[in-house]
Amino acid sequence: MIRRNKPQALYLHVPFCASVCSYCDFARTVYTKDNTDAWLNAAETELHQKEINPDLKTIYLGGGTPVCLSEEQLERLLTLIDPYRSSVKEYTCEINPEVMTETKVRLLKDHGVNRVSIGFQTHDPALLKKLGRRHTAEDVFETVKLFRKYGIDNISLDLMYSLPGQTMDSLQQSVETAVRMDVTHLSLYSLTIEENSVFGKTGVSNLDEETEADMYEWICQTLPQYGYEQYEISNFAKDGKQSMHNRVYWEYEDFYGISCGASGKEGNVRYDKPRRLKDYLNDPMQREETVLSKEDERFEAVMMNLRLKEGMSRSRFEKRFGLSFEEAFRNKYEPLAAKGWLEIRDDLIRCTSEGYEVLNSVLSELL
Amino acid sequence: MDQKNIRNFCIIAHIDHGKSTLADRILEMTETVNPRDMKSQLLDDMDLERERGITIKLNAVQLSYTAKDGQQYIFNLIDTPGHVDFTYEVSRSLAACEGAVLVVDSTQGVQAQTLANTYLALDNDLEIIPVINKVDMNNAQPEHTKHEIEDIIGLDCSEAPEISARTGLNVDQVLEQIVSKIPAPAGDRNAPLQALVFDSFYDPYRGVIALARIREGSVRPGDRIRFMATGAEYEVLECGIRNPKEIKVNELSAGDVGWFAASIKSIQDVRVGDTVTGCANPAKEPLAGYRKLNPMVYCGLYPSDAAKYEDLRDALDKLQLNDASLYYEAETSQALGFGFRCGFLGLLHMDVIQERLEREYNLDLICTAPSVIYHVYMTDGTLLEIDNPARMPDASKIDRVEEPYVKASIMVPDEFIGGVMELCQNKRGIYSSMDVIDAGRNMIIYEMPLSEIIYDFFDRLKSCTKGYASLDYELIGYRKEDLVRMDILLNGETVDALSVIVHRSEAYKRGSGITIALKELIPKQQFEIPVQAAIGGKVIARTNIKSLRKNVLAKCYGGDISRKKKLLEKQKEGKKRMKAVGSVVIPQEAFMSVLSMENDPQK
Repeated sequence: MIRRNKPQALYLHVPFCASVCSYCDFARTVYTKDNTDAWLNAAETELHQKEINPDLKTIYLGGGTPVCLSEEQLERLLTLIDPYRSSVKEYTCEINPEVMTETKVRLLKDHGVNRVSIGFQTHDPALLKKLGRRHTAEDVFETVKLFRKYGIDNISLDLMYSLPGQTMDSLQQSVETAVRMDVTHLSLYSLTIEENSVFGKTGVSNLDEETEADMYEWICQTLPQYGYEQYEISNFAKDGKQSMHNRVYWEYEDFYGISCGASGKEGNVRYDKPRRLKDYLNDPMQREETVLSKEDERFEAVMMNLRLKEGMSRSRFEKRFGLSFEEAFRNKYEPLAAKGWLEIRDDLIRCTSEGYEVLNSVLSELL
Repeated sequence: MDQKNIRNFCIIAHIDHGKSTLADRILEMTETVNPRDMKSQLLDDMDLERERGITIKLNAVQLSYTAKDGQQYIFNLIDTPGHVDFTYEVSRSLAACEGAVLVVDSTQGVQAQTLANTYLALDNDLEIIPVINKVDMNNAQPEHTKHEIEDIIGLDCSEAPEISARTGLNVDQVLEQIVSKIPAPAGDRNAPLQALVFDSFYDPYRGVIALARIREGSVRPGDRIRFMATGAEYEVLECGIRNPKEIKVNELSAGDVGWFAASIKSIQDVRVGDTVTGCANPAKEPLAGYRKLNPMVYCGLYPSDAAKYEDLRDALDKLQLNDASLYYEAETSQALGFGFRCGFLGLLHMDVIQERLEREYNLDLICTAPSVIYHVYMTDGTLLEIDNPARMPDASKIDRVEEPYVKASIMVPDEFIGGVMELCQNKRGIYSSMDVIDAGRNMIIYEMPLSEIIYDFFDRLKSCTKGYASLDYELIGYRKEDLVRMDILLNGETVDALSVIVHRSEAYKRGSGITIALKELIPKQQFEIPVQAAIGGKVIARTNIKSLRKNVLAKCYGGDISRKKKLLEKQKEGKKRMKAVGSVVIPQEAFMSVLSMENDPQK
C-alpha cells in the first residue's frame, strides 16, 4: 500500500559548480549560462506541476553550488521558491565563498534566506588545493562578515578532517580559525572517499584509522569547550541553533526532493530524481521510486535517529509503526544493550558514548 | 542395436587443450543436440564448470552416427576433466570405454596431463586415437606436435587428424577413426549381469541414480539387482541413456553405457566402482573396481551457523555420491564447534567441493587451512596419522615426524627454467633431474614436500612461467623432517582451528607472516586483541589488533539513506562468513591466512 504524506521540508538541488571538488560525487555539472537557463525552466515546470505543501517549515538549497548562478539566475530561482516560504522557519542556502558577491547576499536576504552553510573545509592552502577548492580562509572570513552585514547571522561552517596530508596540528588550527569567526553552527566531516569522485578514481586514501579516531575524539572534546554542543555525529551547534532542516532527515520525517540529483521521501515512497541534467531537462517530473516496506522504514528510522546524540523517541516510534522499538528489534536490541552500546533513558533510546563512536557496528547488528 | 556397432570412448587431454569444444562439435555433427539448444561447453552442466571454463565432472552421453560405410553406430562419449586433481574422474571414465580420443593442442604440444592421462588410458588397455587440435591458430605447429607425441609417448601419429574443434575442421575424420579404430565392446548379453558403476548422483524424487557400463548380461526395469560390495538389493524401476537429456530405454545390455534408478534412498548402498549383478542369476565375481584414491589434502569444514551441522552432513552424503573421491568424517573443534574433517585430491578439488556445497546446498561454510597427513612416531613406538594440525601431540612424546613427499614433474620451456628451479628450491624441493624432451622444452623433476605444493604452488608456477609450464605429481613416500606445531593465540587463547604444522627452520618467518596477516583480516573489535604465534607454549611472534574506536558514516542526509543502508547490508553480509570464537569474530579468510608466508607478494 502506498501512503503519501505532505512533507514540511523541501530540498532543492542546484546541480552546477564552477569547478569540481576532488572528494565530491554529488550530481553536478560545470556551470554554463545556457544549461543553467534550461535547468531553471525545468525547475519551474517541476515546482508548478508538483503540488507542494504551502506550509513548509524548512527549505534547503544545496548542491552543487547554488550561488554559482549569475545574479539574474539566482534571483529567478529564489523567486520560483517564494510562494512556498510563507510559514518557513529555516531557509538555508549552501555557500561557496569564491563565487559570492554582495548582490547575491542581498538577493538571498530579500528572498527570505535566514541561514547559510559555508564550505570552509580547512584553513590550509595546500590542502584546499588538493581538494580542488578555490577559496582561502580569508575569503570565508569575508563572506561571514558580508552575511552578518545583511543580518544573516545563523551561519554554519563545513570543515573536513582525515584529509590526505592533514596533521592534527593543522586540524586544530582550522577548528580554531572557525571558532574565532564565532558562527552558530559547525559541521566536521571526515573525508569519505567516494568511488566516483576524483579522489576515488585516483586512489587517494584517508589518514590511518588511528589518526582519524584521534582527530574525531579531539573534535568532540574540544568544541563543547567553545560552546558548540554535539547533537549529531558530525554536527555541533551553539545556543541551540541546530539545523532544523537536517533534523527532518535524522528524525526520518518526509521531505520533498526537487530537481536533478535530489532525493525525496513522501510517506513510504522514496524517490530519486535523475542524476543526469539531460534526463532531467527531458522530463522534469521523472523520478525513480522505491516503495519502502514496514521493516525498511523501521530500520531506516532507527538508522537516522541514532545519529542524533539525544537518540530516538520511543513513543514516536511506537505511534508511527504500531509497535514498540523493543518489539521491532527483539533479540537484537538486548545484546547491544548488554554490550553497553545502546541504552534506554525514559522515552529515548540512544547510543551510549561507546556505541555512538561505532554507530555502524550498532546498526549492522540491528539490520 | 547390434553390439558390433557400439563404440565407447572418452576424450582425454591436458587442461584447456579443447576436450569440451571437441565434444560440442561431435554433438553438433551427429545432430544429437538441436542447434537451438546448442551452447558451448554443453556437457559441462554445472554452473561452476561453465564459470571457470573447466570440466570437473565426467559426463556421459549417447550419440548416433551414420558412418561413411553407410552403417549406423551408437557412440557413448564420456567427457573428462583435465586437471590433475580430477584424475580419479578420468580413471573411472576410462574403465567404461574401449578407446580414448587424445586431444593435443598444437600450439602447446604435449603437456604434463597429456602424459598422465595417456598413461592412465594405456593402463586400461584402451585404443588411443591421437588428435591434433587448434591447427587453425597462427602459432599452430601440427607437425612438431605429432613428433612430440611419437617421441614422448610413442603413439603413431601418421594418421592423426589435424583438426580445429572450434571451427569443426576435420572433426569428421575423428568420427570415422572412432568407428574404424576403436573396437566394439565385447561381452555376452546372455551372461549373468555385470555392470560397473562409474558415477552416481542423488535425485530427490527417484533416489540414487547410478551410471554404469554393462560388461556382461543385461538389465531391464523389474529386474532385481544386487550391489556386490554392499550386498544391497533393489528392483530396477527405470533405465536409460543420456543424449544428454535422459531417455528411458527398455533394456541396457552388454556394451551399453547408461543409468538406472531403483528408488535407492540409502546413499551408502551405492559405491562407485562396485559391480551390479542380477539376483536371479548372479555373476560369480565382481569386476575389477577402481584403484581407491587416497585424499592428499585435508581441511575442516564447519557450518558458520552451528544449527546447520546436520544439513552439512546431508550435503556431504549426497555430494559423495557424485564425487567418490571425497572423504569426510565428523570432528569437533573447540573454536568452531561441530564439523567435518574432509579429504580431497588436491586444492582445486577442495575449492570445488566447498563451492558446490555452498551453491548446491545453500550453506555458509568456514573452512580451515588445508593440511596433509603427517606420520607421527611416538616415543612408545606407536604411529599416529595426523590430518589435523591441532591433533599433533605434545613434542615431548614425539620421536619423529614424517611428511609426505611427491615427485613433481614440471614441463617447461627453456626460458623459464631458472624461475621454476628457484620456486622449487623455495618450497624445500630437492632437485632430482632435468631432461630435454625436445627443442626448447624440458622436464624438470623435483622431490618436494606435498605440503609445499598444495597451497599456491600452481599459481606461482603459472605466474613465474607466464602459464607455459605444466605440472603433474605423485606421492613417493614419507620422509622425516624437523616439523613442529605452531599454535595461534587470539586474545590469549589458542584457536585450535588456526594451528599449523611448520618446518622448524621456517617457524619464525611463518609465525610473523601469519600474525601480520591475521591482524589485517580480523575486524577490529571493542577491545585490543593480542595475536600470538607460539611453539610449545613459547611465543615466537606477536602483534596487536587495535580496538575499534570509530566506525561511523560521516554524512547521512536525505539523499544518502538508501546508499548508506546498502553499505550496512554489505557489511552484514560479510559477517555471515565469520565465526565468533570466544570473544573474537574471525572471518573465513583468516583460517586460510595460516598458509601465508612472510614473503607473500599479496601482503
